Amino acid sequence: MNSNAFFPNLWRFLGLFAAQALFLKQVSLALGAYFNILLYPLFILFLPLQLATPYVVLLGFLIGMSVDFVYGTPGVHASAGAFSGYARSLIFFTFAPKGGYSGKELIFAPAFFGWQIFLQVAALFFVAHLFWYFSVDAFTFVYVGAITLKTLAAWVLTMLFVVLYTALFHPNN
Amino acid sequence: MGNLLQLFIRNGGFVTFVLVEVCCFYIVVRFNADQNAIFSHTSTLMGGNLMERRQVVRDYFGLTQRVDSLTRENALLMEDLANARVLQMPYRDTFYRVLYDTISTVDSIRHKSVRPEYRFIAARVISNSISSVNNWITLNRGSKDGVTPNMAVVSGKGIVGIVRHVSPHFSIAMSVLHRQARLSASLPKHENTFGTLMWEGGDPDVMVLHQIPKYKTVQVGEPVQTSGISAMFPKGISVGVVCEAPTQDPEYPNFIQMKVKLTQELATIGDVYIVQNLFKSEIDSLNLKVKDEQ
Repeated sequence: MNSNAFFPNLWRFLGLFAAQALFLKQVSLALGAYFNILLYPLFILFLPLQLATPYVVLLGFLIGMSVDFVYGTPGVHASAGAFSGYARSLIFFTFAPKGGYSGKELIFAPAFFGWQIFLQVAALFFVAHLFWYFSVDAFTFVYVGAITLKTLAAWVLTMLFVVLYTALFHPNN
Repeated sequence: MGNLLQLFIRNGGFVTFVLVEVCCFYIVVRFNADQNAIFSHTSTLMGGNLMERRQVVRDYFGLTQRVDSLTRENALLMEDLANARVLQMPYRDTFYRVLYDTISTVDSIRHKSVRPEYRFIAARVISNSISSVNNWITLNRGSKDGVTPNMAVVSGKGIVGIVRHVSPHFSIAMSVLHRQARLSASLPKHENTFGTLMWEGGDPDVMVLHQIPKYKTVQVGEPVQTSGISAMFPKGISVGVVCEAPTQDPEYPNFIQMKVKLTQELATIGDVYIVQNLFKSEIDSLNLKVKDEQ
């Protein structure tokens, strides 16, 4: 990550962490167990496109662990964050334009790929993250039905906030 | 080192992911009560199953040792059984040195000091023939195991042969299916009735019992055992059953002979016991004295 990208990502990390810890956690608690909003994975999604996967995995682990300290669930968000870091590279590979990424696209944001592609990528990315998170949280596939329902409910709510955040802040680096 | 780091960065995404997930798994189980309970329960179930499977595998690979141990144990039991039979003969009351007060309260040898007469050495058959006129059996025990010529060889089912040649680690026994093999066998249903058992060739499961007194009424199906008269075979080892009605013994007009179907099929012998008579040399030296006087 070059110095131009460092600070935007640092602010994004702090901002999303603060929003998750101070606001979204309270909203989730108020709405009930099936209505979680997990916006912090946006930090992982908006990490520089050229950043190597091992770094993305480690940064995903880092923000997940930070959220875990607030939620009192050591390792659960960290596991989901690391998974999202790895899944991100697979999703980006799948949605790569013909001829591959040119190098001009700094992050996977509507500013470079348009809203349609961005929403498809974000939808898939958050489904993967949320499903992994609720699976680790349940720690057994006996409750696969409840895991799926929680994933779908949280995904709908989270995607609203993703759109809201992206429209408000127009991330481009 | 720099190249290695570059290689890892390029291809290490999956490796990093797996390593981080392993750490996360540990943290989740270690610091979350719910997940810890689920993990403990699951690992107990899976662990028990795994341990059971591991035990099955270990049991399988330990079969050789178990068979060996059981064979040795069997040898000891057969030894006890053979000695017990002899112990009940009252004229040998003073021969033994083992407390033998469990036979019955009226036994004449109760509380007497006694000593065993036979020792059994467990052995395995290495090679065996049954189709020749004179058959031999090679065993995996030799002089280093205490085997000497003229020891009897028996199995759990019956008689097998007599040791003839011994090397430090192996021995060769004359099979009972040998023209020169002569064994003393008795009919336990007729007290003190014994004759000479020999193989006349042909069917390897059938031997002929000669020199049974003519006045004895022997039925087909009667058991035949070793008589214990020779110093080699202990008394009461199973030989077989009478399988045909007795006929006149052509060599001895006052005796009858009968075919005996062996209880131990010689074609299928595997684990055997070499019988050592602990008093054989004493008996042989006495016999020599008689021989000198003839």
